[in-house]
Amino acid sequence: MMEYEIPLLFIAPVICSLPIAFAWVRSPGAKWAEKLAYLSVFGLFISLVIALHILFTYQEGRYTIQWLPEYNINFVFIFDYLSKYMGALTGIIAFLIGVYGLEYMKGDYRLGWYWFFFNMFTASMLLVVYSDNLLMLLIGWEGLGLASWGLIGHWFRDDDEISYVGTVGRKVGPLNMFWPPSMGGWRAISTIRTGDMPMFFAVAAIYALTGTLDISQIHWGGLFHMIGYGGTVLLCVLFLMGPFTKSAQLPFSEWLMTAMTGPTTVSALLHSATMVAAGTYVFMRMSWYIQPWNLHSMPGVEVVYIFVLFVGLISALYGASVATGCRERKVLLAASTMSSLGLMFGCAAASYWFGKFAILVAFWYLITHAFAKATLFLVAGHLIHATHDRFSCGDLALAKRMKVAFAATIVATVFLVGIPPFTAYWVKSGMDEVIHHIAHEVGMAPLTLLILTSLLYSAALAKFMSQNFIKGPGYHLHLHGEKLMPLAYATMVSMLVVLLYEILTGTEHVAGHFVEMGYVSSSFIVGLGVTAAYVIGTYKPSISALSKLGTFLSDRMEMPFLNDYIVPGVGWVIAWLVGLGNSAIDWFCHRGIPSAFNRFSRSIRSIQVGYLRVYLKIALGFVMLVIVVSAMGWW
Amino acid sequence: MEAVVASILLLTVAAAVSLKSERGAIWLSVAALALLLVVPRIELLMYSMLIVAIALINTASLTVKRNQITGVDYSLVALIAVATMYIAYTNNPAFILAAFVLASVPTYILVMVGDRANVNVAIKYITFMVLATVLFLIGAFLLFYTEYYPSEILYTLGFVMLILGLGMEVGCAPMHEWVPDVFTAADPLPVSVIASITKIVPFVAAYKILILTSSPLTAHLTLFVAFIAVVSMFTGNIGALTARETSRILAYSTVANMGYIMTTLVVLSSQNYLYLAFAGALLQLIVNAVGKASFFTSIKVDGTSTPLMYLIAMSFIGLPPFMGFYSKLFILMSLVGAGFVWLAFLLIVNSAISIPYYVRIARSLARPTIPGRATAIAFVASIIMLITVIPPNWFVDVATYLIGGV
Repeated sequence: MMEYEIPLLFIAPVICSLPIAFAWVRSPGAKWAEKLAYLSVFGLFISLVIALHILFTYQEGRYTIQWLPEYNINFVFIFDYLSKYMGALTGIIAFLIGVYGLEYMKGDYRLGWYWFFFNMFTASMLLVVYSDNLLMLLIGWEGLGLASWGLIGHWFRDDDEISYVGTVGRKVGPLNMFWPPSMGGWRAISTIRTGDMPMFFAVAAIYALTGTLDISQIHWGGLFHMIGYGGTVLLCVLFLMGPFTKSAQLPFSEWLMTAMTGPTTVSALLHSATMVAAGTYVFMRMSWYIQPWNLHSMPGVEVVYIFVLFVGLISALYGASVATGCRERKVLLAASTMSSLGLMFGCAAASYWFGKFAILVAFWYLITHAFAKATLFLVAGHLIHATHDRFSCGDLALAKRMKVAFAATIVATVFLVGIPPFTAYWVKSGMDEVIHHIAHEVGMAPLTLLILTSLLYSAALAKFMSQNFIKGPGYHLHLHGEKLMPLAYATMVSMLVVLLYEILTGTEHVAGHFVEMGYVSSSFIVGLGVTAAYVIGTYKPSISALSKLGTFLSDRMEMPFLNDYIVPGVGWVIAWLVGLGNSAIDWFCHRGIPSAFNRFSRSIRSIQVGYLRVYLKIALGFVMLVIVVSAMGWW
Repeated sequence: MEAVVASILLLTVAAAVSLKSERGAIWLSVAALALLLVVPRIELLMYSMLIVAIALINTASLTVKRNQITGVDYSLVALIAVATMYIAYTNNPAFILAAFVLASVPTYILVMVGDRANVNVAIKYITFMVLATVLFLIGAFLLFYTEYYPSEILYTLGFVMLILGLGMEVGCAPMHEWVPDVFTAADPLPVSVIASITKIVPFVAAYKILILTSSPLTAHLTLFVAFIAVVSMFTGNIGALTARETSRILAYSTVANMGYIMTTLVVLSSQNYLYLAFAGALLQLIVNAVGKASFFTSIKVDGTSTPLMYLIAMSFIGLPPFMGFYSKLFILMSLVGAGFVWLAFLLIVNSAISIPYYVRIARSLARPTIPGRATAIAFVASIIMLITVIPPNWFVDVATYLIGGV
C-alpha cells in the first residue's frame, strides 16, 4: 500500500494537470479543454485523501525509496508530528482552493498554464513537507520557486489593471510605485533565487561534512562541534537565507507584496499552506531534529537562534504596521501574512531556551493561520470579482448581499487575531508564555515586539473586515451567482472551528496544553488588548488625520527602494565592473596577444637582412658561445 | 647491403647516360631506387618503401620543369635516397658519417639549378652546410674518441658540437638564418628536394652516433637540446605567422618542424621511451619530407587541387587520422613518458600557434583540380599522409629495428 501511495501523493496532481496543459496548447479557450480542470482538481483530491490517510493511519517513522544509495542520497520520506499535520493541511487547503478556482478562473486565457503550475505547486510543497532528505527537499523547494514564478506572473500580458499592485501611475522619486504581474513574477523568482544559492552551498557543505543528507539522521551536535563557532554561524545563516527569502522576512519581504499580482487563488495557496509556509516549516523541521535545547554547550547555536528570533519578530512588527496602512485588499493580507510568518520564526527560535514545545506552538499557529488566511484571501478574491476593484470598498449593504463572505470574514479574523476564547487566542497564549519565559535570557524586547505586533495585527484585520463590509468607500456590485466560491471558503473557515474543538476538548495531546496557558492572567490581558484593537479597527478603519503615516506604511516604509533601486543599482555597478573586465579580456585577446605576436614575429624575421656576414656573425657567435660555455661550465 | 652497392653502381652509369639521354637517366635512377627495395627484413621494407616513395616524389618534382643539369639531378636525388637507405643498415661510425656527407653534398649542386639560379643563395647555403658538416663531423669524432679515452669535457664538447652541427644542417634556430633566404630565393623545385628527403639522414645519423657513444653525461646535456628545440619551435612558428610569401612561411615551418624533431633527442637518456621517440621523429621527418615536397612543387606551378592542399596542411597541423597526428602523438607520448611534460606542453602550444599559417598556406595554394604532375605529386603525398588511418603501431617496430642496425 505504502509503496503505491507515496509516489502517487506527489505524482497524481501533476499527472492530472497534464491533460489540460496539453489541451490548452492545442486549442486554447476551447470548452472541452476547460472541462479538464475538473480532472486537475481530482488530482488534488487524490493527494488530499492520501495525506489524510497518512495522518490517521501511518506510524511515525521513515520510508525510503532508493535513488543513489552509493552516495547515501535517497528519497526518504518522514512521517512525524510535523509532516503528518502539515501534509494534511496542504492537501485540504490545496483541494478547497482548487474547487474555488474552478469558478474563479472560469474564462481565463491561460488555464493550461494555471492548472499545471497550481498542481505542481501543491506537489512540490508536499515533497518539501514529507522529505527527510535535504536534496529531495531542494527539488520540492525549487519546484515551489518555479511554480510561484509561473503563477504570480500568470497574467503576463499586464493588460488588466485589476491584477496590478499599487496605484497605477504613482511615482515616488525615481520609482514607479506600481507593479504589473510580469514584474511581480520576476521579483518573486529573483528574490527567492538570491536566498536559494547560499542554501545550496549550505546543503552541499552539510553533505560534505557529514556524508548524509537525511535531516533526522545527521548528528547535528557533532557537526556543530566539528566546524566551531564561526562555521556554525556561517552554515546556519547561509542555510537560513533560503527560508528567509521564501518566507519573506526582512529585508526580503518585497516580493511577497507584489506577489499579489497573481490570481487570488494563487495568493491564497501561496500565503497559507505552501511557499511562504515552506520557509518556516523547514526551519521548524530542522530545529525539531537539531534539538537546539540540548546544544547549549555548542558555540554559535545561541547566536543563530537569537538572530532568527529578532529577524522574525521585527519582520512581524513591520508586516503588521504595513498592513494597517494598506488599502489594497490583498496587499493588506499579504503584509499581515508576513507578520504571522515572523511570529512563527520568532516562536520557533525560542525553542533554543524553551524546548520542543515552542516549535509546537509555532506549528499550531501556522495551522490556524493557514486556514484563516486562506479564507480571507478567498473572500478577497470573491470581493474583487464582485466589485471589480482591488482596493477595499463595501458597506453593510454589500455585507447583506454577500452574507457568507461577511460571516466567513468575521469568523476568520476573530479566530485569527487572538480574541478570547477563539482558536488563535489559545495558540497565542502559548506564544505569549514562550516568549515571556525567555525574558530571562534575551530580555523584554521580544515580548514587547510580540505584544505590539498582536495589537497592530488585530487592528489591521479589523480594518480589512470593516472597510470591505461595514465602513468602506463606494463600490459597484456585480454578483454572478457564484456557488463554488462561497462553498470553498465556508468549508475552509469551518476548519477553524474544528481546531477550536480540538483545543478545548484536549483530544489532541499537544493542543490541550494551550488551554492551561490561556488561563494565565497575563495572556488574558493581552487577549483583551487585542480585542480592544479589533474593536477600534472595526469602528474607525481609516483615520484621515494619519493619512501621511498611512501613505508611508502603505508604501511599505519605502522598502521598494531597496528592491527596485539599491539592489539593481549595485547590480549595475557589478555589471559595469564585469563589463570593464570583459573589455580588458577582449583587449587582451583581440589586441594584446595578436600585437605581441606580430611584434615578436617581425623581430624574428628582422634578422633576415640578406647578408651572409650578418648570418655568420649570428650563427657562429652562437656556436662559439655554446662551446665556450660548455667548456667553461665544466671547469 | 649488396643491393645498395649495386644501386650505387647503377647511379654511376645513370650519370654517364644522362649526357646522352634524359629518359635513360630517369629509368636507371628508378631502377637504382627499386634495388633499394631488396631488403633482408620486412621492417626495413616498410622504411625503404617510404624512402623510395619520397625519392620518387622528389624526382617527379624535378621533372616538372627542365633545368641546367636535367638528367644528373635525378641521379643526385637517388644518391640521397641511397644514403638514406644505407644509414639504416649500418652501425659503423665511418659509414654513418659517410652517409651523412653523401646525403648532404648533392644538395650543394641542386641549390644552384633552376630558373632562379642564384650564386648568392648558393654561397649562403653552402657556407652554412660546410660549417654544419664540419661541426657535426668533429663532434662525432670527439664522441667516438671518448669511447676509447673517456673524458667528460671532450664528451661534452663533442655532444654540443654534434648538436650544433645537426641544428645548422637542418635549420634549427638560432642557426636558421639560411633557411628563409634559401627557401624564398632559390628555385622551388630544387628546394622541394632540399626541404624534403635531405633532412632524414642527419637526424638518423645523430641518433645512431649518440646511442653508440651514450654516456651517463647525456642526461645532463639534454637541457641544451631542449633549449635549441624550444627556441626553434617558437622562432619557426611565430616567424611564420606574419610572413607573406608562401615559400617563406614554409621556411619557418621547416624551422619549427626541426624543433619538434629535435625535442625527441632529449629522450635519449631514457631507454624505455627511446624507440617511441625515434619513431615519432622519423614519422615527423616523413611528414615533413612528403608535405614540403608537395607544397614547393605547388608553388612552382602556382597552386594545385584545393582538397589535397588542405589535407596536407591538416596533416602538418596534426589532426587525426593523418600522419602528422601520429608523429606528434608519438613524440608527445615519449616526452611525457620520459618526464618532459613541460616540453610536451610547449610542443602542444606551438602546434596551436601553427594552425593559422598552415591554413594560410593551403588557402594560398588552393586551385581548382587540374590533372597534372603537381596534382599527381600532391595526390601521392595525400595518400602517404592517409596511410595512418590505420593507427601505425607497426611504425614503432620499424623504428626499433632501424635504430638497432642490421
